Amino acid sequence: MAVPDYVPTPVDDIPTIRAELGAAFRAGTTKPIANRREQLLALAYLLKDNIDRFKEALASDLGRPALETDVLEVGGTLHEIKDAYDSVARWARPQRAPFALNYAAMRPTIRKEPKGVVLIIVPFNYPLLLTLEPLAGAIAAGCAAVVKPSELTPAFSALLADLVPQYLDPALYRVVNGAVPETTKLLEQPWDHILFTGSARVARIVLAAAARTLSPVTTELGGKSPVIVDASCDLRTTARRLVWGKTANAGQTCVAPDYVLVPRAFQDKLVQACIDVLKEFYPDGAAESDSYSRIVSPGHHARLSALLEKSGGTTAYGGGKRAEDKFIEPTIVTGVGLDDSLMSEELFGPVLPIIAVEDINEAIQIVNARDHPLALYVFTQDSRVKKQVLDGTQSGGAVVNDCLLQVTADGLPFGGIGPSGSGSHTGKYSFDMFTHTRSTLDNPSWLDLVMGGRFPPFTDKSTRMMRALLVPSLPARKSKSAANRWGSYWVMLSLACAAAAYGAKLIAERKQ
Amino acid sequence: MSTTATEHKLPTFAPMPLEDIAKVREELQRGFASGKTRSVAWRRAQILALVYLIKDNIDRFNAALALDLGRSPLETHIAEVGPTLDELRVLYDGVAKWAKTESAPFSTAWFPMKPQIRKEPKGVVLVITPFNYVITLSMCPIAGALAAGCTVAFKPSEQTPHASALFAELMPKYVDTDVVRVVNGAIPETTKLLEYQWDHIMYTGSGRVARIVLTAAAKTLSPVTTELGGKSPAIFGPRCNLKTSVRRVLWAKFANSGQTCIAPDYAIVPKSLELDFIDEIRRVLPEFYPDGAERSSSFSRIVSFRGTARLHALLQNTKGETVCGGRVDVEARFVEPTVVRGVGGDDSLMSEYAVILELFGPILPIVTVDDVDEAIAFVKARDHPLALYVFSEDKEFQQKIIESTQSGGVLVNDTMVHFAAYGVPFGGIGPSGSGQYKGKYSFDMFTHLRTVLVSASWLDIILSGRYPPFSAAKARKMDMLTLPSFPSRPKVPPVPSEVPQSSTSRWGAGVVVALVVSMTALLTRSSHRRS
Repeated sequence: MAVPDYVPTPVDDIPTIRAELGAAFRAGTTKPIANRREQLLALAYLLKDNIDRFKEALASDLGRPALETDVLEVGGTLHEIKDAYDSVARWARPQRAPFALNYAAMRPTIRKEPKGVVLIIVPFNYPLLLTLEPLAGAIAAGCAAVVKPSELTPAFSALLADLVPQYLDPALYRVVNGAVPETTKLLEQPWDHILFTGSARVARIVLAAAARTLSPVTTELGGKSPVIVDASCDLRTTARRLVWGKTANAGQTCVAPDYVLVPRAFQDKLVQACIDVLKEFYPDGAAESDSYSRIVSPGHHARLSALLEKSGGTTAYGGGKRAEDKFIEPTIVTGVGLDDSLMSEELFGPVLPIIAVEDINEAIQIVNARDHPLALYVFTQDSRVKKQVLDGTQSGGAVVNDCLLQVTADGLPFGGIGPSGSGSHTGKYSFDMFTHTRSTLDNPSWLDLVMGGRFPPFTDKSTRMMRALLVPSLPARKSKSAANRWGSYWVMLSLACAAAAYGAKLIAERKQ
Repeated sequence: MSTTATEHKLPTFAPMPLEDIAKVREELQRGFASGKTRSVAWRRAQILALVYLIKDNIDRFNAALALDLGRSPLETHIAEVGPTLDELRVLYDGVAKWAKTESAPFSTAWFPMKPQIRKEPKGVVLVITPFNYVITLSMCPIAGALAAGCTVAFKPSEQTPHASALFAELMPKYVDTDVVRVVNGAIPETTKLLEYQWDHIMYTGSGRVARIVLTAAAKTLSPVTTELGGKSPAIFGPRCNLKTSVRRVLWAKFANSGQTCIAPDYAIVPKSLELDFIDEIRRVLPEFYPDGAERSSSFSRIVSFRGTARLHALLQNTKGETVCGGRVDVEARFVEPTVVRGVGGDDSLMSEYAVILELFGPILPIVTVDDVDEAIAFVKARDHPLALYVFSEDKEFQQKIIESTQSGGVLVNDTMVHFAAYGVPFGGIGPSGSGQYKGKYSFDMFTHLRTVLVSASWLDIILSGRYPPFSAAKARKMDMLTLPSFPSRPKVPPVPSEVPQSSTSRWGAGVVVALVVSMTALLTRSSHRRS
């Protein structure tokens, strides 16, 4: 089936689209859970019915093998939609606050209300997952949404614009296509939430625009996600998973392992194992393989080529590049210094720099001297090393002995920290991102018998009354009290037990 | 004034030299990097230190706030000291439980990887606080940051110089200087602070300044929680207990002289109720202030001359009719508790220079409506407020208002108490702020949820389909693992006709996965035993 033409949305239509969605949201059709589930199911069928067309589009945009799209995107995306479909009723239920004597009479409750009309800005690298997963979250939360897919994936974006109105309620869910002018116009509008996935550079622009309209923003960025390989690792598995993480989607993955820190003595073994794996993955070379993607644009291809050329390291494997079809060979570079071109920015390509370190401590220091990464990977069979690395570093997520899997893992949030992003999503966390937790209390009149001390005129008596009500007993200044208190609990408990036993004995004797 | 200041030995307000600000941040970073904040016992000790910072110095804080806000010690106690100590106790008690690493809910596909969420401190954070509730609005977030294991730069308001100077003097006596630092000053100092990257910024204040803070934070990619305000309506409906309701509304409106972000900004009253409503106000006011508010020790002053003059101008320009009060003494920063009726949506009290701003003073405009729909339309035509108050015993009325409006929080038959309530978050929506805090929610604000998976080598027996070279067989294998089944398609959206209806068996794939997982687990266990 033909891929529809990519047509940017007329800039002048954008304020109208925002206004229409606002009106539709206020009409309240997104409130019933049944409506949300219906739209979620429609979203699932939007993907299921058109898997082949999406694969075709992504082959055209990213040169990505159809099977890689299956492995990397389709399953995970459908899984997320299914999770939202199954769980939305539970997620959306009002939540009672935990019991507190002072407030129980006011029935404190947290209502889960949709924020309103949200904007989802999607990058080029995983268009399916990064569009439909948050959209499922927005639908589940009861929000209306505008999706802005990347102009770097025109085939995908055009297909999405074609399909969304066929499957979803067009009054509530819309696709806006375009590049800088369209995005700028979008960001002039106020949004009840914005999810931006992309680069830190653009994130600054988005955040500055959102500041003017006080629109809250979740950013999913990236950064140089390090891999720390310890000599105790399962070498073959490590090499396979590491190389897979780096070469999937030709390295254009926000959580791709960016560079490797390995003890000097172990370096050669690791490099050789990675080379072996590469030969196994691409028996006739990556250029000929039907399992290997291309770089998204000539610009990015040129950027990567320049980084490789400027590098002072030694190419241990690969290095091939071809501008015509935006091909970069899976490449391993050793002897890379911390000031090398390959360490200057997130690589976002199939190039793996290897940095030799003395020990794990040095690796941790190198990681901590840089921006907090979105992901951190450690390969080791030694639980002390695992603990040392996890405790000694900060990162969005961390995986021990694997790569990439954290993104779609059930029940876990996905998100960065510091320059790698703020806020988290996937699964229930996507629902939460687009949900306002609205606290409610219902205070009966009789409570003023207790709380009347709050009203003027304030007197010593009313203050004493309020103090008794509000000021909790506090631990003593130098607090060994925790231990003491437990001590006294045990004394009390054993006394109570003794008393009960004595009582039971008495009763038993009386019965006799 | 100065006599009171000397009597209580209040320090003088001194802005921090701009060149010291970088050093403050470096020192806080060193404090965080030292790793001491990771210990829960340490965090509890810091929260306790804040508790005693307040308890030991209540008289001096009272004196400072009497000078800054003309506020009576009793009101400070009720509005600030009690709720703050209560909150610190909640944090002190809760932190050990909250900081524990969480396991993800069970999932057949993922449990072999032991999915966990570590609760890690974000790092060095900045807390910027306003003038109106100096103790509560600073100590609650700071204690939350300490509970999360962060170190804190604290910028109190320059509009309360006595209280802010007192914080600067006391903080180093109770908490290490590489853990919490007070940075005093005004625009230049705040601008300098905002030039640096922070691991979180919590800003409480106005929407105007929030835009400046957010724009600065955008450059450094620092995440920001904003607690702003807005015009929070109090909506009256059928069957309301007028005596209780009016007392509760006037209490919140006149507490701290109306300078409260969640004060009811205006009242929406059905036409039929208006006269009774006003009668009740006339009864309650003398009860609150028997000798008039000016002479009452229970009524605060406006924070600044400028703020007083602003309220004065609003009152002069209103087209409404003053029901009671109305007197303003700019020199004394005094605005009498005032109620104005006959206020329309375009009145000065409802929109200032065409911008809808909250009043932030002891003035209650009454807007009358015909019915509930008009009330809802009036609220919805404005920005989402930080709070919304419904007064009615009619459940249907309550539900209708709650369901058809949006607001930070919503209270039925009371005002403001949700800020102090245990176990519920406090925060705005849209222009009234983003993000939330109090109790566990404060801990969460300053905590990063760090996902951890541990993937054993044997899992590749199941997961090897992901590796190239890809083949149709591998794709089928991965599909079986990952593709969920769905109920049959919904009927409402149009179905592309060329696609045949497919119905997958719901449980098939799941059972297979479970089988494969358990068999491999068994196999590996026996192979371990052999080795």
